[in-house]
Amino acid sequence: MQGVKARLLKFLFPPSTDTWLALLRVGLGFEVTLYSLSLRNDWTYLLSGTARKLAEALLSLESHLIPRFGWFLALAARVGVQEKTLLFLAWACLVAAGCGLLVGVACRFSAIVAWFLHLCAAKSGGFISYGMDNFLTIGLFYLMLSPLPDRYALDWRLRNLQPENPELLGFWRRVLQVHLCIIYFFSGLTKCLGPGWWDGSNVWRALIRPPFNVVDPEILVRWKYFFPLAGILICVAEFGYPFFIWSSRTRRIWLFGICGMHIAIGVMMGMYLFSLVMIVLNVAAFGPGLFRREEKLVTLQPEAAAS
Amino acid sequence: MRVLRQKDLCLAWLTLQFLLIVLFSCRYTLRVAAEGPTILLVSIESFSQKAETALSAGLDQKLPASNPVREALATYLHIAGIETGYNYFAPNVPGGYKLVFELHYVDGRVEYELPSVSSAAAALRMAGLLDNIGRTPYDALREILVKTLAQSVWREHPDVESVRAIVGSVRLPTVHDFEEGKRESYEFLYAYDFSLQNAPANTNHR
Repeated sequence: MQGVKARLLKFLFPPSTDTWLALLRVGLGFEVTLYSLSLRNDWTYLLSGTARKLAEALLSLESHLIPRFGWFLALAARVGVQEKTLLFLAWACLVAAGCGLLVGVACRFSAIVAWFLHLCAAKSGGFISYGMDNFLTIGLFYLMLSPLPDRYALDWRLRNLQPENPELLGFWRRVLQVHLCIIYFFSGLTKCLGPGWWDGSNVWRALIRPPFNVVDPEILVRWKYFFPLAGILICVAEFGYPFFIWSSRTRRIWLFGICGMHIAIGVMMGMYLFSLVMIVLNVAAFGPGLFRREEKLVTLQPEAAAS
Repeated sequence: MRVLRQKDLCLAWLTLQFLLIVLFSCRYTLRVAAEGPTILLVSIESFSQKAETALSAGLDQKLPASNPVREALATYLHIAGIETGYNYFAPNVPGGYKLVFELHYVDGRVEYELPSVSSAAAALRMAGLLDNIGRTPYDALREILVKTLAQSVWREHPDVESVRAIVGSVRLPTVHDFEEGKRESYEFLYAYDFSLQNAPANTNHR
């Protein structure tokens, strides 16, 4: 029993550099900034009025403690601040938090602000949220709990700030890795259950379904014999992820395969924000050390990583 | 000593975190299997239905909504982003929904308008909203959502006398149908008539 626990601890708390954390921070910072900028003209329209109130009312049926913009809007109304003004302020703060993460200024604070404001937007806009919001919440949640800052952040370089618990770098990377494995396993499993993924019809439907119909169906139909293979490859890549991503012999091919799939989704279905967040999570979790051994491990001495 | 205690805390949290992730993922997978159509046998689909009900009950569904344990659990699930399963486009890719506004002017003119946003990113979200409108089993919820969109169209066309909102489902052609010249088609689902008075909409169903 002791042996099992020791092996489990060894697996869950491996020594690790902070390269993965830097990738996650920069990637999610870019994602949050892009997300905010892409919605700049529609932000108020999508998050104001009856639809928001309705989404928040439904959210209250689950819990009153889930963050939402309604809390602040109610307070703002008392002091005469308009809904539009407050939503714009939230949007501006989200952009600032995204930029903060991107360059590594006030890393922890930026991560918490980005997580909180994005969560408010995702929950208050419950009817307009989709998978990308879910994965961004997951990524930001782990990022704000991880030992920030990393050695590439301006916080470290200019202010010489260092993480309090660098020995947990490996642990948080493991959390992200295992979570990704569960995500792909269940995503692959449910796809395997659908007959349309085996005969390729779901690939065709996904690509011609508005608003994902970026590529002209006249062009797509020429590739019809490729659809069954693409459908099976997607099932295999996702379902096989937790089995093949850990081995150093298959990790490279699996990571490239999964990232390739997400690039294809971004380009061919216009879901570039969804694709980006998935690539960031994958590359941060399994990318470092893919081509060469990581140079310096950060265990109990954060200074070691800086040299 | 501090490191050991920290590791124990991390382990305890990790156990809870992954237990919740796996349980909720199982629940959604069972739901998907129960709703079908899947490659599973009908008997397995009906078993999935029972298992999903049992798992839901085990997780939190039997507790009253105001129960603090249920509220705390729901809050944690949402803030960690693990409240849902990972069955995107699975087991099958559903058809979408379309909403068309028929704008009736005082002079008898009729114009057609689609809900519009200004960016591709927002358009994806609008499609999600239309899916919610089309799929919800609650008529009242659907009507409020349609009315919200109708109001924004009305703001852009203040001289309109009444608005008819038509919700339809999109039927996608198969590859074979497409090669034979068939294109996507629409099936009428619901229509709502809104006038300037603040009265509830007149609803027509399929």
